[in-house]
Amino acid sequence: MKTTKVSFQINNENVTLEVRPYETLLETLRERLVLTGAKEACGMGACGACTVIVNGIPLRSCLVLTPEVEGADITTIEGLRQNGNLHPLQEAFMEKGAVQCGFCTSGMIMTAKALLDRNKKPTKKEIVRTISSNICRCTGYKKIVEAVEEAARKTR
Amino acid sequence: MKDDLNIVGKRVVRSDSLAKVTGEARYTADLQFPNMLVAKVLRSPYPHARIVGIDVSGALKVPGVKAAISGFDSYGVKWGVFRYTQDHAMLHTDKVRYIGEDIAAVAAVDEETAIEALSQIKVDYEPLPAVYDPIESMKDGAPQIHDQYKNNINVHIHIDVGEVDKAMEKAFLVREDTFTAAGEAYAMMEPYAVVASYKNGYLDLYMPNAGPHVRAKALSNMLKLPLNRVRIRHINSGGAFGGRSEVAPGDLVASLLAIKSGRPVKLVLSREENATSSRQVHDIIATIKTGMKKDGTILAKDYKVIYDGGAYSSTGPIATSIPFYVYEECYRFPNVRYNGYRVFTNKGIRGMYGCHGRAFLAGNEAQMDVMAKELGLDPMDVRLKNGLRAGEVTATKSKITSCGLKETILAAAEKTNFKKRWAKPSKLKGVGMGCVAIMCGFPMGFRSGSSCYVKINDDGQVTLVTGLVDNGQGNESMVIQVASEVLGVPMRDINLVCADTEVTNLDPGAYSQAAAFVGANAVRVACENARKQVVSIAAEKLGVKEADIGLKDGAAYSMKDPDKKMPISWVVREAFFRGEPIVATGSFFPNIDFEREWVTRPWGQMAGTFSFGTSVAEIDIDAETGRITIPRFTSAHDCGRAINPMAVEGQMEGSIQQAGVAAITEGNLWDKGHLLNPDLLEYKVPLACDMPDMDTIIISSRDPAGPFGAKEGGLTVRMNAYSAVACALTNATGELFTELPLTPDKVMKILERKKGVK
Amino acid sequence: MMVLPKFEYKKARSVAEAVTLYKQQKGKARYLAGGTDLIPLIKHRLTTPRTVIDLKGIGELKSIDRRDGWLTVGANVTLFDLKNDPVTGKYFPALYESLDATSCETLQMRGTIGGNILQDTRCLEYNQSLEWRTARGFCLRMGGSECNVVKGARTCFANYCSDNAPALISLSAEVTLVGSEGERTVKLGNLFTGDGVKPFALEAGEILTQILIPMKKTKGAYEKLRVRDSIDYPLVGVAVSAAGAKAKVCVGGVGLAPQVYDLKNAGDAAAVKEVADKASTDSRPVANATLTPAYRKKMVGVLLKRAVKRALAEGK
Repeated sequence: MKTTKVSFQINNENVTLEVRPYETLLETLRERLVLTGAKEACGMGACGACTVIVNGIPLRSCLVLTPEVEGADITTIEGLRQNGNLHPLQEAFMEKGAVQCGFCTSGMIMTAKALLDRNKKPTKKEIVRTISSNICRCTGYKKIVEAVEEAARKTR
Repeated sequence: MKDDLNIVGKRVVRSDSLAKVTGEARYTADLQFPNMLVAKVLRSPYPHARIVGIDVSGALKVPGVKAAISGFDSYGVKWGVFRYTQDHAMLHTDKVRYIGEDIAAVAAVDEETAIEALSQIKVDYEPLPAVYDPIESMKDGAPQIHDQYKNNINVHIHIDVGEVDKAMEKAFLVREDTFTAAGEAYAMMEPYAVVASYKNGYLDLYMPNAGPHVRAKALSNMLKLPLNRVRIRHINSGGAFGGRSEVAPGDLVASLLAIKSGRPVKLVLSREENATSSRQVHDIIATIKTGMKKDGTILAKDYKVIYDGGAYSSTGPIATSIPFYVYEECYRFPNVRYNGYRVFTNKGIRGMYGCHGRAFLAGNEAQMDVMAKELGLDPMDVRLKNGLRAGEVTATKSKITSCGLKETILAAAEKTNFKKRWAKPSKLKGVGMGCVAIMCGFPMGFRSGSSCYVKINDDGQVTLVTGLVDNGQGNESMVIQVASEVLGVPMRDINLVCADTEVTNLDPGAYSQAAAFVGANAVRVACENARKQVVSIAAEKLGVKEADIGLKDGAAYSMKDPDKKMPISWVVREAFFRGEPIVATGSFFPNIDFEREWVTRPWGQMAGTFSFGTSVAEIDIDAETGRITIPRFTSAHDCGRAINPMAVEGQMEGSIQQAGVAAITEGNLWDKGHLLNPDLLEYKVPLACDMPDMDTIIISSRDPAGPFGAKEGGLTVRMNAYSAVACALTNATGELFTELPLTPDKVMKILERKKGVK
Repeated sequence: MMVLPKFEYKKARSVAEAVTLYKQQKGKARYLAGGTDLIPLIKHRLTTPRTVIDLKGIGELKSIDRRDGWLTVGANVTLFDLKNDPVTGKYFPALYESLDATSCETLQMRGTIGGNILQDTRCLEYNQSLEWRTARGFCLRMGGSECNVVKGARTCFANYCSDNAPALISLSAEVTLVGSEGERTVKLGNLFTGDGVKPFALEAGEILTQILIPMKKTKGAYEKLRVRDSIDYPLVGVAVSAAGAKAKVCVGGVGLAPQVYDLKNAGDAAAVKEVADKASTDSRPVANATLTPAYRKKMVGVLLKRAVKRALAEGK
C-alpha cells in the first residue's frame, strides 16, 4: 500500500515523513522518530500511557492516525525540557516521589501539563479529575496529585 | 542502633526518577537493534486439545519472515520451580491446556508481516473435554490435565500443629465460614516484552524480570546451553507485583527465534496476551474454622483452601502456602491445621501475587470480628491479644526477632478512632481493621543470599555491583542510599550496576520481599568493608586514630578536629599508589532453616525477619445501589526502619490501591476458559478518582539484623488492605462477605440477605 | 504494537465531499471523527474499512449556534467543548451531567458528540480481538448462528453505551442526517433499530451533521452506574429532563436502544415509581457486562427514581 506524506511540528522541530495511512501516531513516534517516552500499555485508549499533546489537547496517540496530525504542533515528554531545564512537573514528580515503575509517568505528566496549560490554578478536585484519565498501577495516585499541585504552585 | 544518620531515613529523590520523568528510561519494548526482527506468537484457541501436528512451513514462505518455530524446534525440557513440579515445556507438542497457550511463533521484518505469517501456520488439534472449576476438576472422572497429577491436584500442603480437633471441642465459640475470591490481573503497566540475540554461541536477553539469575538458569536448561552462555541484562521494569518471577514462554520463543534467524528478535505482548498468557492470579475458595476462648484467645484454626492453579504448576507449592504463613506469622495459633490444595484447570497459569490470598486473609479477619462481636469483645483487643511479639515462635517454628505489630495496631486505631467507631457504626458506614505479617525472604537454597562488589574510583566516585532487582519499587535507589550512608559519598556520585547475570552475583530477586533485608544488607556490608580501607589510609594520612575518622560529603575527616580532612579521592589515589585499590565485597545470608521444604517439611525458620502491618478502612455503603465508597484509609507498617520514607509511603499507597480499593473493583471474569476482561477497560484498576484519602504511618521496630534496622517496605498493606475493607463491610452491615471483589451487585445481595429478601 | 489493518485515509473538507468519497468506496468506508470508538473497533478487526474518511476538517460541523428556538450543535463539537459551553449547563443539566460522566476528561477532549451518538453497541463477548473471538466462536452479530451470551438466542443483546444520547433524547433532540439522497432531520429517539447487526437507522453513507436541541430551559439529571468514576462505560444510564411538571426519562446502557418514558407529573412519587418499575421490567440486561443482569435490571428503577429526584431538587 502507498505511503502518505505528513508534515508536522514535533517538540519545536518540523518534520516531514512518509507514513502508512493506517499508522497510529504512537507507532510513528516510537518507531520512526524513536521518541519512546510515550508507551503502549493497552493500545486501546483505556490507560493513557501514550498521551502526547497535539495542538494543546492531550491525546491518546494510540487512537490517532498519523495522517490526522498534518500541520499539527505536537509535544511529547521528550520536548518538555527547555534549554536543559526540567519542566516544573518533571521536577515535582521527582521531588514528591510520584514515580515508581515509570511506565505511566510520561503519559501522566503530559496529561497534567495540558491541564496546567489551560488552567493555571487547578483545584485538587480538578487535578484528580484530569489524571483520572490515566491508569497508574504503582502509586495510589496520591503523590502524583501532590506533584501536580506543587508544579502548579511553581508555575504560577 | 546508630541514629545519627546522614541520609538513610531521609526523603530522597529516587536515583531512577530523572530518566523516568524525561522519557529517557528505556524499557524492553523501546530497544532497537540493527537488523532486529519482530516476533509474534500463535496461541491455542482451545482450552484443552491434543496437538496432532504443527506445520510452520507456510509461514516461512511469506516474504520477510526469517524464522518460524514450534515446540518441535525446542528440546521439550519441562521447567518447574521445583524438581517435583516440572511440567511446563513452554511450547508443548502433545497438548494445549489453556486458551492463549503458546504454540508456535514467527520472526519477521515487521509486525504486519509477522501477523500475516501466523495465519499461514497450520495446527491440527483434537479437542479434549475441558474443566474450568477446581471443585469439578478434583472429582473422579474429570478431564485429566496432566498425567502425573491424580485428580488434577497439583500441590497439597498439609500442616498440622498441636491437637486441632480437641482444641475445637474445648473452645467456647467455634465458627466455620467459606469465602471465595476471583483471581486478579497483575495489570502491570508494561506488558511483557523480550529482546533476544544470539552471537558466537552466546545468548543475550533483555526482559522485565524479578530475578535474572533464576531466569538464566531456566533458559540454560531448556536450551541446553551452558549457563555462562545465557546472559540476562539489566533493563527498567514497568511493574511486576509477582507477575515476572518466573521464566516466561516468550523468553524461550524469542531465544529460539534469535538462534534460528541469527538476528535480534523483539517480542512484545499485547495487553490481552499479557492477561491471558503470562500469569494470572489464583481464584481461591477458603473454608475457615476457628475456635476461640471466651476471652477472644484463638485456640485453634482449621483450614481447607482450594487454589485454582490454571494449567501449570508455576510457583505452586509457594502459592499454596503463602497466605497461611503470612497469617501464622502474625497471630499465635497453638493448634492449627492447614490443607491447601492447588488444583489444575484449563485456564491461564496462576502465579504468586503481591496481594495473593485475599479470600483467605480477608475471610480470617472478618470472621474474627464476627466472633469478637459475639463475645462482646473489641476486634482491636482481640488482635492485640492474639498478635505475636518479638521473641515468640510461630506455629511452624519461625522465630520473630523484631515485631511492631502492636504498635501498628495501636497507631492505626488511634488515628481512626477505631474502637469507638467500630462499637457504634452509623447506618451503612463501617470501619474495619486488617493485620498481617510478611516474611522478608524465604528459603531458596543457595539463592537466598545476596552479595555486592564495590569499588571506589579515582575521583572518589563509587561503583556498586549487585544482583539486586528493581521492578519499580525503588530498590536501586535504596541501595545507593545505603551505600551513600556508609561511605559518606553523595548519592549522585554512586553508580549502580545491577541485575545482569554476567556481571552481578546471585540475589534472591524482587519477588520475595528480600531486597531491603537481604540485598541492601549485602551492599551495606560491602561498603563497610570498603569504608575500613578508606578509614585506615585516611587515619594514617591525617594522623588521627581510625575510630576518629568520619566520612561525609565525599571527604574523610577527624570527628574531634573537623579541620583535619581530605577528599576521599585522595585516599583512593593513595590506595592506587600502594597497589591496593579500594575494592571490597560483602554478602548477607539470612538466618533461614534450609531443611525447610514447602510440601515435605513445612516447619523451621522461614525468613531472617518479618514485617508487620495494620490497615483500617472506613467505608460507606449506598443502601439503594450497594455501591461502596472508601472515604479514608489508614495503614501502619512496621518496616524496621524506612530507608527512604517517601518510597515506603509510595509502596503503602500503591498497596491501598491494589489491594484495598481493588477489593471493591478488581477480579477476572470468565466464561468457561475464556477470560472476558483481558484489557484495561473492563478489568478495573482503580483510578485517581476512586482513591480514598490515605494516611500512612511508618513504625520502626529496628530489626537487629536489617540494614540500619530495615525490613521490607510496604507489602503488609498489600495483604491486609482487603481485610480492612471486608471487615468494614461486616461492621457496617453485620454480615460477612462471601465473595470478593465487593462490587455493588455483590454488596446488594448482602444487603438483601440481611433484609431477608430472596 | 497494536497495529491497524491496511486502509486508505481521506480527509473531507465538506459534508458533500465526504458523501461523495463514501460513495466512491462502494460501502467499504467508515467515517472518522474523534476515533475513540472507531480506532479500537478497527484494532479488534470488528470493522475493516477499505477507506477511512476523516470528517474533522469540516469546519461547518464544529459550531454551536442558537437559532429559531433550537440549539444547533455541529457533530464535530467535542464532548469537552459542549460540556463547557455555558448554554449546556444553564439549559440542559441532564446533558451537562452526561457529558461530564462520559469516559474521562482526555477522551472527552477528543471524542465528538456525533461520534458519541453513533458509537457501536458493546458486549463483553464482542469487544474483543479477532483471536479472542475466533477462539470463542463468532456470535450472531459476527455472522455466527446464535448469541454467545444467551445460548440459542437469535437476537443480539449488546448494550448501547452512549451517555449522551439518553440525555439528548430526554431533551427531545433531533439530528440532521446528510447523505447522497439529501438531508433529513429525525428525532434522535427514532435513530435506533433495535437490530444488533445494524443498530442505527442510517442509510449507507449518511453523515450525522448536527444535533438540534429545543432551546428551552430544563431541570435535569443523569445517573450513571459504573464501577470506577472515570473511563468506564455506563452499565445503566438514566437521563431525566423536565420542563415544569412534565418530564422525559431515557434509559441507556442496557440493550440495543435507549428506552424513553414520559412522566406527566414528575413530582408525583407514585407516578415516578410506576415508570421506574416499568422501565426496570422493560429492560432485558444479560450477562454481557461486568455486573450481574439481575442487579442491572434493579438499578434501572433505582437510578430512574434517583435521577428524577435530583432533577427536581431545589437549586437545580
